[in-house]
Amino acid sequence: MSDEFDDIQAIFFEECTEGLTTAEEGLSAMQSGDLSGETIAGVFRAIHSIKGGAGAFGHSDLTAFAHKFENVLDEVRAGKIVPTPGVIRVMLSSFDVLSDHVEAAKGNASRPNDGAALSALEQVLANKGVPEGDAPAAAAPAAAAPAPAAPAPAPAMEEEEDEFGFRPVGVSLDDLDGPDESGGWTVRFKPSRAALANAGEPLLTVRELEGLGARVVSVDLSTLPALREIDPEDSYVTWVMQAPAELPESDLSDCFDFVAPDSVIEIKRDSEDVVLPEGAGETEMDGDEIPFVPVTATVDDFMDLGPAPAAPAPEPVPAPAPAPVAAAPEAALAPAAAAAPPAGGGGTPGGPGGGGAGAGGGGPAKPVNEAAQTIRVDLVKLDLLLNLVGELVIRNSILADRLSPADRQRVELPELARLTRQIQDNVMSLRAQPIRQAFSRVPRMLRDLSVETGKQINLETIGETTEVDKGVIEKIGDPLTHMIRNAADHGLESAEERIAAGKDPAGTIKLSAEQKGARIFVRVADNGRGINRERVRAKAVEKGIISADAVLTNEEIDQLICAPGFSTAEKISNISGRGVGMDVVRSNVEALGGRVEIHSVPGEGTTFTMILPLTLAILDGMIVRLAGQRFVLPLTHVLETIQPEPGQVKRTAPDHEVIDMRGEYLPVKRATEIFGLNDDRAIEDSLVVIVESESSGKVGLVVDTIDDRREVVIKSLDQNLHPIRGLGGATILGDGSIALILDIEALVSSPTRFTPKGLAA
Amino acid sequence: MSTPDTANDRKIVTFSLAKQIFGIDMSALIEIREWDEPTPLPNVPSFIKGVTNLRGNVIPVVGLAERLGWEPSQLHARSCILVVNIMGKQAGFLVDEVNDIVGINVGEIQPAPAVETTLEESVIAGLVRIATRAKDGTRDENGSMVLLLDLNALSLTKHLDLAA
Repeated sequence: MSDEFDDIQAIFFEECTEGLTTAEEGLSAMQSGDLSGETIAGVFRAIHSIKGGAGAFGHSDLTAFAHKFENVLDEVRAGKIVPTPGVIRVMLSSFDVLSDHVEAAKGNASRPNDGAALSALEQVLANKGVPEGDAPAAAAPAAAAPAPAAPAPAPAMEEEEDEFGFRPVGVSLDDLDGPDESGGWTVRFKPSRAALANAGEPLLTVRELEGLGARVVSVDLSTLPALREIDPEDSYVTWVMQAPAELPESDLSDCFDFVAPDSVIEIKRDSEDVVLPEGAGETEMDGDEIPFVPVTATVDDFMDLGPAPAAPAPEPVPAPAPAPVAAAPEAALAPAAAAAPPAGGGGTPGGPGGGGAGAGGGGPAKPVNEAAQTIRVDLVKLDLLLNLVGELVIRNSILADRLSPADRQRVELPELARLTRQIQDNVMSLRAQPIRQAFSRVPRMLRDLSVETGKQINLETIGETTEVDKGVIEKIGDPLTHMIRNAADHGLESAEERIAAGKDPAGTIKLSAEQKGARIFVRVADNGRGINRERVRAKAVEKGIISADAVLTNEEIDQLICAPGFSTAEKISNISGRGVGMDVVRSNVEALGGRVEIHSVPGEGTTFTMILPLTLAILDGMIVRLAGQRFVLPLTHVLETIQPEPGQVKRTAPDHEVIDMRGEYLPVKRATEIFGLNDDRAIEDSLVVIVESESSGKVGLVVDTIDDRREVVIKSLDQNLHPIRGLGGATILGDGSIALILDIEALVSSPTRFTPKGLAA
Repeated sequence: MSTPDTANDRKIVTFSLAKQIFGIDMSALIEIREWDEPTPLPNVPSFIKGVTNLRGNVIPVVGLAERLGWEPSQLHARSCILVVNIMGKQAGFLVDEVNDIVGINVGEIQPAPAVETTLEESVIAGLVRIATRAKDGTRDENGSMVLLLDLNALSLTKHLDLAA
């Protein structure tokens, strides 16, 4: 079939994914006790749209299943089925089957066996509730649930008067632009003769007013000269227009912001003839006292008032008027939304442009609902924008390099740099997404794992709204999967073991995310048995990862489980134990410029923490030289730099040096040696940068010199090559040349203990 | 020798390397640039000369002669870098001299003889004979043999993906 069809279908699948996410969030919320009508209706809507779309694209299996699911949800929504934990469990497993159906429809999987789920749903429908009859225990909270989510403006209408005596009134859209309604606005607009010459096309103004709902009532052609005398550059006509009453005057006057000076503009209430002298209304902000304030002013007056034309004109909304807001169709759907604006309107009817007063007219500048404020953008476009901004930053520093300091000020380079930086920050923020996206597949995974392992597992999620760069979210999926599987399989004990240890038979996995500075911490914590260090050690010796007589701290032993090929699981299960899991976690996280921390307390549990950069695009770095070549050292790791005194660096072994830092001996590493660069510089001629890394603590890194400190745009090496151990990427410097970015973590962590990976074959 | 202009006709770029003539598909070529000393990379095989800046992209530069097992190229005035696209990844290949762009008939490509290929699959996709221009502009009727390179086999990311 055509590409167009595929495109539309792709949109459908995208919406399916969103729908599934919404549904899962709703179901999870229900599971944790949130049985509000809104939550249930949210799930219902999500499933309903999936069903609708699936039907349109002929995915009959998906449609049929979604239909059954929807039936149950509908009953729950209507309060006919009480969402007891039993019912919610059925819905959750149905949800899993539904997700499988969606995958099958995409062609990624075969059609799932939905027989069991279907009959469970059937049963719920037939019994009007819980299948196994653990009936009305949970009935009480559910009583509040069946709030009508269907369009029901009626309750709002019947509400009591609020404290200001306003009653919400429903007004149909037809009434809104009824021009003959008393109290509408009359706008007279006579562009100046010179308007056209000054690029003040009056037609645009008229159209803009029409866009607000105004209508042209008459056009005064009396001033039109005979045809041969017409100067096409001149403007002769006067328009008289009528605008809906509930438009704030500011909206109308805004249309005239850009008309030529000397134009005549009159805006009045139909029922009044008062002309308010300029400035007279400046203090009159209370609309209740002077409800109608017609204004006649020339553009020059507007100019004088500056941005204040709205200020002297208190919101001319008569008492019942706030209600038209409720007529916006979307608002009317939700009773709560309909009830809110009248209250706000009662408090400050004078706020020009506030309270969504322009909604009825569909003023272009005032979106009616939230949905209209987001747009879907192809990620490729964002990336292109980001690349271009990156180029802009580079060009900026090239410019800075080539100009003398005096010239930099003269051409306002700092200002340009500041703007560029702001653009960059903004583009970066466009890519930021809540980490929920990465977390969303965990509940499903845990339900499956729970079945496979026979363990009861509770999930707690914290900080899922933490925003992270889209690229990071995409790349933590795999490590996260491994960490969760590891926690479920190795971390948590079986129910019997847990009871024997005096613990709750159900294990808990806590998934959390938080931002600290420029880093994001993602933790997977289980309350299981903790790492058995003796066994890990024995296994590591057996597998030849460490020598039998190696002296390791507890932390180092814990780190061993991230070593390639390591697994202590007695039997290799379907879930984990093939000895790749934690190794993958570590290498993926390191490839992102992050690191993994393991914290374990025997008998109490293990916490894995992924510490990741917030963005993958920019880095604050120190430009250093190693054997003459320029490298970038990420500033986040730098503690201080020193010029070593003679004798401050001492040898403790032929290939091992330490530096005496105010009585503290820190190991010294030479990046040049690790990289195999030629360097016979004496240590006294070099600088030592003290860096701190999670795995190795404080280490002194020997560099030739420090050139500069600047923000660099990270270009990944593996985009065209492969990751190189010790390098976090490359960047393009101001002169167009390339500097390699050092991966401190990989550089200082003892390169001899683990076989270096990623070395070119 | 016929000069077919059928749909089979394919354009290749020929270049010399270690006194041999090699060819790559014209469609894979992004640009030809002058040799510019790339930024060396640590811990990489010696045939990777380093990385260079191609309009904001960091691309690896490969000494093609070494990569193919010949003596390393001696740099001279006509040394240049062929920037190619291999499955969406960009790489620069150092060659001794770019010769020509010629059309070949796909049907005339002979499979590369199964030489005792060492550890990896052959990087030679086939052999083809082309007419060469002699110095005085006349055609050398005997033509010369061109070794067509299989760029995918030269991918810098391929076998390293397994290692990573």
